[in-house]
Amino acid sequence: MLSREENDLLTRTDAGTAAGKYFRRFWLPVLLPTEVPTPDCPPVRVRLLGEDLLAFRDTKGRVGLIDEFCAHRRASLFWGRNEECGLRCVYHGWKFDVNGTCVDMPNEPPEYGFGNKLRTTAYPTREYGGLIWAYMGPPEHEPELPKLEWARVADNQRYISKRFQETNYLQAIEGGIDSSHSNFLHASLDAFRVTDSYVEKVKNSGTLRAKYHLLDKAPRFTVKKTDYGVVIGVRRNAEEDRYYWRLTQFLLPSHTMIPYEKGLAIHGHCWVPRDDQTCWVWTISWNPEAPLSEEEWKTIRDETFVHAQVDPATFRPVRNKANQYLLDREKQRTANMTGIHGFASQDQAIQESMGPVVDRTRERLGTSDTAIIAARRLLLQEIRELGEGREPYTASHGDVYWVRSASLLLKRDVEFDEGARELTKAEV
Amino acid sequence: MARNGHNRASASQEVNPDHIVSVKDFSPDTLRNVIAHLKASTSFEHLVYREAELDAIWTITGFFLANEPASSVHDAVNRLHAGAQKAHDLVAERRPGAAATVLEAFL
Repeated sequence: MLSREENDLLTRTDAGTAAGKYFRRFWLPVLLPTEVPTPDCPPVRVRLLGEDLLAFRDTKGRVGLIDEFCAHRRASLFWGRNEECGLRCVYHGWKFDVNGTCVDMPNEPPEYGFGNKLRTTAYPTREYGGLIWAYMGPPEHEPELPKLEWARVADNQRYISKRFQETNYLQAIEGGIDSSHSNFLHASLDAFRVTDSYVEKVKNSGTLRAKYHLLDKAPRFTVKKTDYGVVIGVRRNAEEDRYYWRLTQFLLPSHTMIPYEKGLAIHGHCWVPRDDQTCWVWTISWNPEAPLSEEEWKTIRDETFVHAQVDPATFRPVRNKANQYLLDREKQRTANMTGIHGFASQDQAIQESMGPVVDRTRERLGTSDTAIIAARRLLLQEIRELGEGREPYTASHGDVYWVRSASLLLKRDVEFDEGARELTKAEV
Repeated sequence: MARNGHNRASASQEVNPDHIVSVKDFSPDTLRNVIAHLKASTSFEHLVYREAELDAIWTITGFFLANEPASSVHDAVNRLHAGAQKAHDLVAERRPGAAATVLEAFL
């Protein structure tokens, strides 16, 4: 449970809010490069941290991210012409470059010299790791880019998708680190009921997750604070002398990783506030050792796991709130818990069902919610410390993101962080 | 001694703040165990575990109040429910000792 003041503090990210200032200390993913594919291509609208912005790629290939509305009369620059290293408002011809400088003001007498003195809001961008990132904070605090493993692999070893979600970012993060929900929300009926046929099927499974994950529905949580955020160790019973551990990272301000099993692709998310009611969900799958395999591409195409098909213009998922996520009650009766296809859509459906900003004063948490409590407390601590003038350590130390999630079997007397030390190092 | 967030039976009274106390009820034994762990808690992780335990007490007492409105101990449980919330908020303020004092009033 949180107090109303704490819930508001965590979930409000517009300019001027405490959490808004905190998020504005980090590079945040804003666009897929394919959204602004070529020089002088059409601009695209970007809503981020409650601000309406416009992205465009100029003649030299640089990506600008500026206030959507013209500094003159506040007309939308979305209708503007992207031409000769600037975006020109079609209302009175004012033109802005990627730095936000007004480089032409043709309807004013040139002797006034207004042009080069006027700037609109503009944020620096970087192309990195298959994404375009933006920094929306004070220039003197520009952070390092996070040295995330997925950002360092070759393009053919990585797939990134983007989707629009109608919840506050925090609800989405909490879903991402809540290991116990997968025993229910993402379970087949056979797995949920632990039928004999299911047990027989997974007994000799090649993957740890299939073999152990669903057989212990009440996992134990351990959290450890780290330089990058929190690592969450989730322990399930395995053989008599061993535990099955799944390690998830929550990396500040809003990255998470799904436990990785050696030899398979790794998956992670970045949950970015669009405004207080909605967020952008960035989902990344990467293979640190080789190009994504045909089997991994099939999982992506079939939307069975973490990626969901979206409208390419709006990034709204094909399965969405308006069409009840294409819920199939017959499938729910006979096949899986939700009747909804794919983990991503299942997550989105249940998180959106809680309302845009869940009232955390009305929760009833238990010890299985330890990871969620840890993430909230860490974020609250960081947000409050920034308010007291202490800059976030992670923002200026990109190297701390050089970690990897893990899942493994350990003898029962071995600490998870010691037993998984080698596995949780990024390698690329 | 292994840490790893092992749950321990509340009756064991083994105090290790790296353990999450198993909160299955709001008996004096459970409260004593939580109080002892509150008093031994110092780190971020400890306080997260204590908050989870106090959340659990608050949740369980809340269930009792909803399901047993005519119980003879209703008022006492109601006070414990409020006390658990107060203790929870003190832990959120990183004051586990003060939270322990609040719970001790219910022993």
